[in-house]
Amino acid sequence: MGPLRSMRDGIGFDTLLIGFALLYLLAFAGLPLLYNVIISFQQVDVFSLGTLLHPGAGWDNYLSIFRDPLAQMVLWNTIIFTVGSVAFQFTIGFAFALFFHQKFPGATWFRGLFLAAWVMPGLVVGVLWNWLLSGDFGVINHVLLSMGLISEPIFWRSDIDVSLYSVILANIWYGMPFNMILLSVGLAAIPDDLYEAAALDGATAWQKFWTITLPMMRSTIGAVLALGVIFTLQQFDLFAAITSGGPAGSSTVAQYWSWQLSFREFDFGRGAVISVMMILVVLAVSLVYVRSTRAETRM
Amino acid sequence: MRSPLHNRILFLIALLLAVIYLFPLYWMYVTSLKTGSAIFAVPPQLLPEDPQWSTYAEVWATTNIPRYLWNSLLIASGVTAITAIIGAGAAYVLARYRNGWIDVALFTVLMLQVLPPSLMVTPIFVGFASIGLLDYPRLAAVLAIAAKTMPFFVILCRATFMTIPRELEEAALVDGNSRAGAFFFIVLPLARNGILVAALLIFMQGFGEYVYSASLIADNRLQPASIGMTNFLQPNVVNWNAIMAFAATYVTPILAAFVLLQRQIVNGLTSGALK
Repeated sequence: MGPLRSMRDGIGFDTLLIGFALLYLLAFAGLPLLYNVIISFQQVDVFSLGTLLHPGAGWDNYLSIFRDPLAQMVLWNTIIFTVGSVAFQFTIGFAFALFFHQKFPGATWFRGLFLAAWVMPGLVVGVLWNWLLSGDFGVINHVLLSMGLISEPIFWRSDIDVSLYSVILANIWYGMPFNMILLSVGLAAIPDDLYEAAALDGATAWQKFWTITLPMMRSTIGAVLALGVIFTLQQFDLFAAITSGGPAGSSTVAQYWSWQLSFREFDFGRGAVISVMMILVVLAVSLVYVRSTRAETRM
Repeated sequence: MRSPLHNRILFLIALLLAVIYLFPLYWMYVTSLKTGSAIFAVPPQLLPEDPQWSTYAEVWATTNIPRYLWNSLLIASGVTAITAIIGAGAAYVLARYRNGWIDVALFTVLMLQVLPPSLMVTPIFVGFASIGLLDYPRLAAVLAIAAKTMPFFVILCRATFMTIPRELEEAALVDGNSRAGAFFFIVLPLARNGILVAALLIFMQGFGEYVYSASLIADNRLQPASIGMTNFLQPNVVNWNAIMAFAATYVTPILAAFVLLQRQIVNGLTSGALK
């Protein structure tokens, strides 16, 4: 079979279809990944931008990041932001998924409605929360004050002790529906007769949850948690719209710091250092995700 | 079966949860209609006493929002076109075969799905600057965003292609179609709905994208509405009614598309996102 014929009617056709996509991803994701490592060892500033290769810097960029007084705070902020966001997105999402799993009229429609938040641009979500969390005129402070939960307004965005939590709050709201939908899929896949058999044996709702729901959901939960961490480490827009990483870096996380070094201080070499390290973290987490989705499809 | 009363209570709880959860969206619209002094009233007014529809007209006339929206539309269209044209074929091949090579390709796509844009933009910016691509900023942003959206699109479409029986394609081959003919005239039309929903999700992502546009597009005249919002936000931190009118103008088309196609979007997500 000639190559032209093969492209129309053989293995060449499939190779062509997948080849285009892989070449595109290689050019605009694979090469940048490698280039990232290279520029993390170079001194890149606005003056040397025009060329592909820049003066070498050895391990200088890495050392200066490790010695930066911000580094430790950024590391902690990243951990708190990720754990806090994922823990609450997941638990609230799971609770909602269980609630909507009771098949009452309108349950599916209501559940879908929550995704309205998820389709919104992150930047707009950030701006909305910026206004909701406003210190003097924010509606959240007003509700908390009138319920007696706080005695004076919290300055969410400008108080260094809470600025990070204001972004976490917005991120929980933003990411919860996606957790809920994925967990709903896992719940729907559990055969009903398991519950019926347990009911015959006189199991309580609580026992059914611990002995049937949780074990049957294990791979889904693994995938959802891993995806939650991945998406949380991608979150950028909320920081840009709510706190800009401030005040005094108190709400700066790694992915935001990397961008600030590159695009506010034009120190691309140091921006690349954080980028390289964080991408390694993300890829490690996604290995967990790919493995648990594999377990899913095999079932 | 549950009793009607039980169902009604569950329904009311669901309604309450939705109202509380979607309050931020309601607050966006309400704030946009309030007067400049009513937005700072204590206690906050749940309904605007004197709805100011003119705020929308003012924002439309004074903030360059038409130009910003046009740029968002261009970027989103470009991203969707590249993603759908290149991604659909790849999704089909990944759904059709099961062997070592396909596993490697699928693994690669899954891993590339997770790269955070704010981290990838540093090498992309430096690389694009050195090869001169930054002279075409919107194109540069489209190329970078499409590399981010493609893996997600491929995963969603692959799930759609997996539901199409192989026998239909084989029957077309027996009838004398080439492989390409069977793909374009049998498989693609059957997968149309799944592809359209996935493309719509990609379009929404492109329409709201921020990181790549903010980093690669320096010229204000070429920037999309997401950057327009931040430009607009900084100097007028008291004009919350105008900012919310800008936000509402920006997201209402997205929310409208979502409400109209809610069932398809949720189905598309639930069938594909975890596989």
